[in-house]
Amino acid sequence: MPSRSTRLRAAAARAWLGRRGWAPRVVQAWRSSLELRTVALTVLLAGVGVSIIGTSISVSIGANLYDQRRDQVQSESLRATLLAQDIFDSATATEDADQVELDSLQNEAQSAILASTSSPGGTSIAILRTPGQTTSQTIQDIASPDFPADRITDDLREQVAGDTDNLALQPVTLERAEGGEVPGLAVGSTLQVPAAGQYELYLVYDLSDAQATLALMQRTLAIGSLALVVLIAVITYVVVRLVVGPVRIAAETSQEIAAGDLDRRIPEKGQDVVATLGRSFNGMADAMQKQIVQLAELSRVQQRFVSDVSHELRTPLTTIRLAGDVLYDQRGSFGPTAERTTELLHAQVERFEVLLADLLEISRFDAGAVELDVESTRVVGLVDDVVAELEPLAADVGSTVTVDARGGYLEVEVDPRRLRRVLRNLLGNAIEHGEGRPIEVEVDSDAEAVAVAVRDHGVGMRPGDVDRVFDRFWRADPSRRRTIGGTGLGLAISLEDATLHGGRLEVWSRLGEGSRFVVTLPRTAGAATTSAPLPVAPRAVADDPAAAAGEPWAGTTPESMSAGPTTSPTTVPVLTTGHRGAPGPSDEPAAAGRPSTGEAGRG
Amino acid sequence: MSPRILVVDDDPALAEMIGIVLRADGFEPHFCSDGSAAVDAFRNSAPDLVLLDLMLPGLDGLQVCQALRAESGVPIIMLTAKGDSVDVVAGLEAGADDYVSKPFDPKELVARIRTRLRPSAEPTADVLTVGDLRVDVAAHEVRRGDVAIALTPLEFELLLALASKPQQVFTREMLLEQVWGYHYKADTRLVNVHVQRLRAKVEHDPDAPRIVTTVRGVGYRAGTSS
Repeated sequence: MPSRSTRLRAAAARAWLGRRGWAPRVVQAWRSSLELRTVALTVLLAGVGVSIIGTSISVSIGANLYDQRRDQVQSESLRATLLAQDIFDSATATEDADQVELDSLQNEAQSAILASTSSPGGTSIAILRTPGQTTSQTIQDIASPDFPADRITDDLREQVAGDTDNLALQPVTLERAEGGEVPGLAVGSTLQVPAAGQYELYLVYDLSDAQATLALMQRTLAIGSLALVVLIAVITYVVVRLVVGPVRIAAETSQEIAAGDLDRRIPEKGQDVVATLGRSFNGMADAMQKQIVQLAELSRVQQRFVSDVSHELRTPLTTIRLAGDVLYDQRGSFGPTAERTTELLHAQVERFEVLLADLLEISRFDAGAVELDVESTRVVGLVDDVVAELEPLAADVGSTVTVDARGGYLEVEVDPRRLRRVLRNLLGNAIEHGEGRPIEVEVDSDAEAVAVAVRDHGVGMRPGDVDRVFDRFWRADPSRRRTIGGTGLGLAISLEDATLHGGRLEVWSRLGEGSRFVVTLPRTAGAATTSAPLPVAPRAVADDPAAAAGEPWAGTTPESMSAGPTTSPTTVPVLTTGHRGAPGPSDEPAAAGRPSTGEAGRG
Repeated sequence: MSPRILVVDDDPALAEMIGIVLRADGFEPHFCSDGSAAVDAFRNSAPDLVLLDLMLPGLDGLQVCQALRAESGVPIIMLTAKGDSVDVVAGLEAGADDYVSKPFDPKELVARIRTRLRPSAEPTADVLTVGDLRVDVAAHEVRRGDVAIALTPLEFELLLALASKPQQVFTREMLLEQVWGYHYKADTRLVNVHVQRLRAKVEHDPDAPRIVTTVRGVGYRAGTSS
């Protein structure tokens, strides 16, 4: 069955691709690709610039073309008008020009005009009588067959009729035989026909050739601009790749180095900035590699040292221990001084033993020479064992120990030896500082983690002291007699044990009310967890805001502590290596009690 | 006749001290300070139990253990300076029955020695079958067909405990109590390694055990007879 995270990812991908379409993909590509951004920006700006320039060129040329054609048309029309007028004028020799003569003059004039116009695309001609005249003779209106009479507006006719000395021009649109419209130009002038009055001569020129030229030019301009933009894009891309290439190589190489392949370097070629980047990068990688190798070697050396010291110290210590024990057993037969001496010797040898064991354990943690021996463990069972083990000590001081296990019945993957040690330490401390009051142990678990809390109602600690309680050899009250004994390293070792699992060890304390230590371990050792099956602050305090507003642990606010049983616990800031506190003043001799950090061999 | 203990340790002061402690408790200690002489010393003194230090000149403690095991099923208790898991497991796999890490409580050492020397309880049945093995309780023999398999006393006791109650799942703690005789929280690694050793000797395929099966999260159980 696919895991929860796989299913969630599949659903997300489906939603992403299906409903939202390509937009998120584009956004993602935009964000992640420098080349894309640069090329797109360049193309955009180039496109804008090129279009502006192209448009203005096109407009300018178009206007120029049009002016040119218009001037040509104008001069042609003028010539044609004069020509026609000459023809009509030449016939006024006789006083009564008759109809036939007039008609033939008209034809002559028309042919002459048509012959004179040389406009490509054709010209249509019409001679129309100016309305509102009475004359003795008239000639008929004539027009060439394709004359677009409907394009001649009344305004034009008025203008033409009114202004006899000048030409009147008007742009028109002509219809092509095969459909579509082309631009044209209509020119009107007046003719004075003898005995027939004023006639208007209209010439309509087809400007489609100019239009075609303009269109061709525009097309060429457009293609050229597009090609230019594409070329710019390609060039930009190439240049960007040239620059981004080394950056990408540097990024990939640093990723490989970070992944552990310390020998990777950037190829160095040339003298430019990019080569300088390569050289400095390689220099940095060299320095780091040397440092790492050095540190690893140092760690190995320290590990070996720990191992050797362990052996060297333990053998003579065993002999001393055995000797001390033998004397201790026979102390009844000594004199009082010797007896007392033997007692002191016995006690101190024991203390030395424990201290040595703790010291060696701590240096193993420091050297990184520690391993988890993970077993399927029933935490509740472990808790019960430890409680049973320390019950006599608790009874000695008058403390009752109760276990409230709501979880932790199913097995988890932890190192039982280490967890046992942590629990012995916490419970031992609770007995030591519990002032004879009841001690409560809670066990609980959730999907990700299991937690054990040890609460005592004894002296408690000041807020400033709570921060330092995990320091090595630190004691809150140096003048306090140790009844159970302890090396000062118990909590430091417990913290390391918890952290080694990927878990946490946290504390809540209030002066005069006691302390509560919570060790939280993930169900599978190594997978760091943020889950909190048990809160650090005791529930009674967490539910009562008034009580919480007292002396909160430094680093938290009263609000966060009274947020209810599911508050995520405030954590000790330094977790992985522990901090080295200043050693506290040395202690009085411990009585013959077993301190809390024992080793497995002691049973 | 006091039980004879062979003490193999290169530190003279410690060896002497151990001797004093043993004598005070009614044992007869013999000494050997060199690994290469250990096997000879063993043959010469015929001890009832061997205390073996791991760091020895000449032959290494592990090698001595293997050499002794090749010859005899005598109880061997390791003395280790390093409590590291790797070393402990290595010692147990080499053939030791138990280990004590230095520095140790002399009373604890004596208690363990006594437990190892205690004669096993009267057998309830004469012959047991587990898998395709035939366990002759009175003769302390295990056979597969006609081939006898050599087990140390502890390995035999372990197999016997499991085979006597084939349906029962034994937790490690139960086995420590029944087979090793420890009534306190001893190291469960003892059981783990001994089960492995037993499997290596009696199973057809130690990685797929049929005779000594693991019940995950609980302990071990004897497999059904084939």
